[in-house]
Amino acid sequence: MFETYFAYSLRKPIPCFSTFITLLPIVLIITRKAYLDPTFKLLLFYSLSKLITDLLIFDSAVRQQNSIVYFNISIPVFYSLLAGMFYFKFSSSIYKKGILYSIGGFLVFAIWDISNSNLEITDFQNHRAVLFAKTVEGVLIIVLILMYFYEIINSLVIPDLLTFPFFWVCSGLLLYYSSFIFIAPILHYAASWKNIQDLGIARTVPYIFEIICALFFSVGVYHFSADDYAKQ
Amino acid sequence: MQNSEELKWALLIASMAMLMMAFCMISFVMYYQKRRFEEEKRINEIEKNYNRLLLDTALNSEETERRRIAQDLHDDIGTMLSLTKLSLNQLSKMVENYGNEKDDQIMRKSQSLVEETILHVRRITRDLVPTTLERFGLLEAVGEFVHKLEEGNKLAISFHASPEEFPRQGQKLELTIYRIIQELVNNAIKHASCSRIDINLEINDVLIDLRVIDNGVGFDPDKIKESNLAGLGLLGIESRLAIVNGTVQYEKPEKGGSRAFVQIPVMPVSDSKPEPLHPFRRERVNI
Ligand SMILES: Nc1ncnc2c1ncn2[C@@H]1O[C@H](COP(=O)(O)OP(=O)(O)O)[C@@H](O)[C@H]1O
Ligand SMILES: [Mg+2]
Repeated sequence: MFETYFAYSLRKPIPCFSTFITLLPIVLIITRKAYLDPTFKLLLFYSLSKLITDLLIFDSAVRQQNSIVYFNISIPVFYSLLAGMFYFKFSSSIYKKGILYSIGGFLVFAIWDISNSNLEITDFQNHRAVLFAKTVEGVLIIVLILMYFYEIINSLVIPDLLTFPFFWVCSGLLLYYSSFIFIAPILHYAASWKNIQDLGIARTVPYIFEIICALFFSVGVYHFSADDYAKQ
Repeated sequence: MQNSEELKWALLIASMAMLMMAFCMISFVMYYQKRRFEEEKRINEIEKNYNRLLLDTALNSEETERRRIAQDLHDDIGTMLSLTKLSLNQLSKMVENYGNEKDDQIMRKSQSLVEETILHVRRITRDLVPTTLERFGLLEAVGEFVHKLEEGNKLAISFHASPEEFPRQGQKLELTIYRIIQELVNNAIKHASCSRIDINLEINDVLIDLRVIDNGVGFDPDKIKESNLAGLGLLGIESRLAIVNGTVQYEKPEKGGSRAFVQIPVMPVSDSKPEPLHPFRRERVNI
């Protein structure tokens, strides 16, 4: 059993590494007590759910089962958690309301997209990746990040961005979603080609940026100080 | 198969372009934020300087006004009083010759009153404009000030300066220190009901250190600042210090009394020659 996992890891080292590197921000958030801040609590939940999803995908890949169903389900979950982080970061109540609506709307949209992409929803073996939802998720997250950057520039309350935890989190997410946004719609077709279609290096790039994203999270959490949070 | 190969490349290029944009975005935010922060800091600096200039001007015009009043007192009232004294002297000779005892007494009384008034006017003029300070420097001026206070009150005031001789400081700096000492000592006399006051002045190459210590009732500087008890005196000290980048701390030692601790950085002496005694005649606006 263990050997098959190990063999698979050796065959696909980068996706595996991107799975396990998620542990780093999780451990850091817990040891540095960053979860006291609601934003980082959500980041913790996001990282945990990402770790679980990746592990499930890893497991089904080893068993040569279709893992796409996990991928599809993770989309609305990830979006809710990430958008929730921005909910706590924005001060304007209009933005907050907008984020809540977008979470609700996206949930409905993702469910529609999953059922739209799969005529037979219970047929897990031939499950296909969503067509729009992952791309829309990426666009929404990038928009949120850009809006947040705009607010940072406008409010001028952070003297040094390099020691500001959430800036690292945003940068990591921005890089990851930018690298993934064009791959996401292709996955729908790639999976339908019965995995013959290997996207090659183009598929590896998002994995690399997933790793970078996790590292950015870690740097951000590393700069988090519970004392500062208490003072706010 | 050819098609899918091309598709891969297209995907890779698109992703790279997107990443490039993300990267530029992050750098831009960092750069722009930094620049705005620096700008903000510069504006603050300018504002601070401007405020300091305003304060400086206000204090300058106060000093100028004092001089004008002193000059008027000296020139007009002083002269008239001298003339009055002269006339009274003549009159007294006449009274001595022809008048009776009672007239003589009144005469003498008026004479001594005029004389006293002349003395008072002279004292007020000298208080208004510290001429000793301008001519002989800080040590002399403080010494004289202390001496005069000791005469009138049952007070022990000690004044120590180290080193005993130090070079003249800039005129403005000397005046600032002098006025601060004046206010601190006056406060101690007015509010502290103390029996002794120690003034310590230390000057080295970079710092001027002033300590004024009394053994009176003492006061809590924070409370004074919070409540509206703070009169013009303590505020005046702070605004004078703001101009020369100085700081002041008040302490309340355990054993009673109060302590004021002033620090001022030494400034290079720029205009070492004292301002003429009639600055109001060639008024300068330095904005
Ligand atoms: N040396 C001192 N001892 C006790 N109280 C003092 C002393 N200096 C200042 N104070 C208190 O601080 C208050 C503010 O002083 P100040 O600003 O000089 O105003 P003013 O002298 O016009 O009352 C005074 O009213 C007094 O209560
Ligand atoms: Mg006073």
